[in-house]
Amino acid sequence: MLKYIRLIGAVMLTATAMLACKEDFPVDEDGLLITGRTQCYVSNFELLGSDLQTVRTKNAVVDTVAQTVDVEVFYGTDLKNLRPQFSLVTDAKLEPKITGKVDFSDLANPKKYTVISGNRQIKKTYTVKITVQKP
Amino acid sequence: MKHRYLFSFIIMLSMTFGMTACNDDDGLTVTPKNELQNDVIKRTLGPNMVGLNIEFAYAMAIPKSLGKLVSAQVEASIGGAEGTYLDNKSYYTNGSGQDVGIEVGSASVNNGSKTTVTFTKDTIAATLRYFYRIPNAARGQEVTFKFSANASNGQTVTYSMGPYKIAQMDMVLDLDVKDSTAAYISIADMAVYGPADAAAKADKIDLVYLYRSIPNITFNHALVAPSSKEYLPGVKLPAGVTRSAKISKVWALRDQQLARLQFGVFIDDLDFQQLSIADAPDFAINMRAEAGAWVETADGKYRAYIYINSINNTTKSAKISMKRYALK
Repeated sequence: MLKYIRLIGAVMLTATAMLACKEDFPVDEDGLLITGRTQCYVSNFELLGSDLQTVRTKNAVVDTVAQTVDVEVFYGTDLKNLRPQFSLVTDAKLEPKITGKVDFSDLANPKKYTVISGNRQIKKTYTVKITVQKP
Repeated sequence: MKHRYLFSFIIMLSMTFGMTACNDDDGLTVTPKNELQNDVIKRTLGPNMVGLNIEFAYAMAIPKSLGKLVSAQVEASIGGAEGTYLDNKSYYTNGSGQDVGIEVGSASVNNGSKTTVTFTKDTIAATLRYFYRIPNAARGQEVTFKFSANASNGQTVTYSMGPYKIAQMDMVLDLDVKDSTAAYISIADMAVYGPADAAAKADKIDLVYLYRSIPNITFNHALVAPSSKEYLPGVKLPAGVTRSAKISKVWALRDQQLARLQFGVFIDDLDFQQLSIADAPDFAINMRAEAGAWVETADGKYRAYIYINSINNTTKSAKISMKRYALK
């Protein structure tokens, strides 16, 4: 009988060992992994209209030094209902979060978005400047 | 000791087998019913709209030894509009995939909300199609159908279908709009007017259709509310045409009833009820074929979806279809 108890004991010990937690990776308040990356930039920018089609007349110009995104939109674009899409460097995140439509109609006060690096230590604020195509 | 475990193991094994053992009934053998039987399927998809048909296929059969079919009838809870009929042909699909009808009875007779076909051929099995033209009286209500068949041996079978909700919204197809001549769209009337008629119905004009080819920008085909002067270049609005509207451009929402394309997408009452375009502008330019726009009238009475069926840059014209929902 003792043999069986020992066997069960051994099995349980192995199972516990296998299921044991490893050291936790650090995550931020959004549950995203905090990594060692220090890069912090916008790599691409897209702007969609209410019909989910692009409103850019050409590629957006992302200046990572001046921290600006210059984008020209079609004449007749509904600036109140735009959906911006940022492509960021690996592990970085954006603040404020884009959850849906964004009102870009106040051209005098361009919207600002902050990129936060993978290690969450570096923050860079980009300004999205929109110009509307003129006839 | 060893034998005890072996014994328990065998008991466990046999219990497992016992629990998963097959049933004698394989579910494949069907005992045929020796009586008159019927079945119905609904053939139309999408919202049921006033003026359109709801189509059913009603199948009935009786064993030859018991007799033949005498009549088939459908009773709707709300009488169908003119054009409601029960087909007197029974269809089969030929090798090329075409439905071929064989006449089995006299043309259907509508009596109140009841539609009847009397069989004139010796028939023991038939599938008749029923087309219920939705009457205006049924708008926003539910309709049920009672299908029944009589056989020569006195047997009767019935089959109930529904209830089916009839949509509140209206639809109009293939309105031709043309720059400056047939350019004034009224959501309330679901119609397109020329400048003279537009002046007479100025309080009902919600949108202006225009086509412009302007250098450096993409204007093309546009739906613009009369209030939006900036986007009406070179348009001299008829007197009194000043209304505004909310217009939200949509791409690739090809409602099957409006577009009549292969896409199984339908706009229903619910879409209009939940539509939120309060912050939409009063113009939509560069409209392409197969695009559309949600529109809400300035008085908040109507919401509509305007679909662009086709465009023609040369003639500066387009073909549009519209679904409209009355809010108040």
